[in-house]
Amino acid sequence: MNELILMAHVLSGVACVVTTVWVFVDVLNASPSNQARIRRMSCAVAVFMWLAFVIAGYWYVFDYPADKAVILKGPWPFAHRFFMETKEHLVILLLLLTTFLPIAATNNLAANKDARRVVLWVAGLIILLGLTAEGDGGIIAMGVKVGLLAR
Amino acid sequence: MNTEPAGLSKYTVSFGVALALASVVNGLLVIAKEKSPAVQAAMQKLTGSHWVTHVVIVLAVFALFGWLFARANGGQGIKMTANHLIRAIVAGVAAGGLIIV
Repeated sequence: MNELILMAHVLSGVACVVTTVWVFVDVLNASPSNQARIRRMSCAVAVFMWLAFVIAGYWYVFDYPADKAVILKGPWPFAHRFFMETKEHLVILLLLLTTFLPIAATNNLAANKDARRVVLWVAGLIILLGLTAEGDGGIIAMGVKVGLLAR
Repeated sequence: MNTEPAGLSKYTVSFGVALALASVVNGLLVIAKEKSPAVQAAMQKLTGSHWVTHVVIVLAVFALFGWLFARANGGQGIKMTANHLIRAIVAGVAAGGLIIV
């Protein structure tokens, strides 16, 4: 069950990043014909991120303490001390940005260059932080793996 | 002739500034928890997890200040150019991120 929870978290996170790339490209080519799709996809970004966040939050509070003990006793204690400590607070920024994205996308993006620039910057930050969070997650998972292998 | 409308909706500006503010609050809470075991213990006591309390505080700051900023200026919301809003968001997220790292 724990593995399913973790995979659902990773899947939602990847879907969030991929959907944000979609929004970014669509906004670069914003027109009246794709404006409704940009708004729908911006909402999808927020939904995917909230899913990833809630799933991860449940896992972090109830299941992670066992993995944390394995990591700290293993050869990669930095996987918790640096990468998890960073990730658990960095994803809050990601949650804020993804929640803001649909709000910014309510502007008339086809006609308003200022609004397009705001959405592009926010989407760019989401992609950057999203990829960072995915990398952090990979290192944390590897920290557990090398901790178990060292037993 | 440029016929593009200028300006952003009041909710874009209000929640954009609230996002920058909440990002910095997020970083400051990390410092407060690390420097003061009493703060961490109090946050732990509130919800059973200091991290859950942390998330609730940051989201509350975002929602509350976004709403308050939108009600400023007699309900017209705070005014800001797109350039200033982008700078505020990037600076807030960068500052919040750097504090965490």
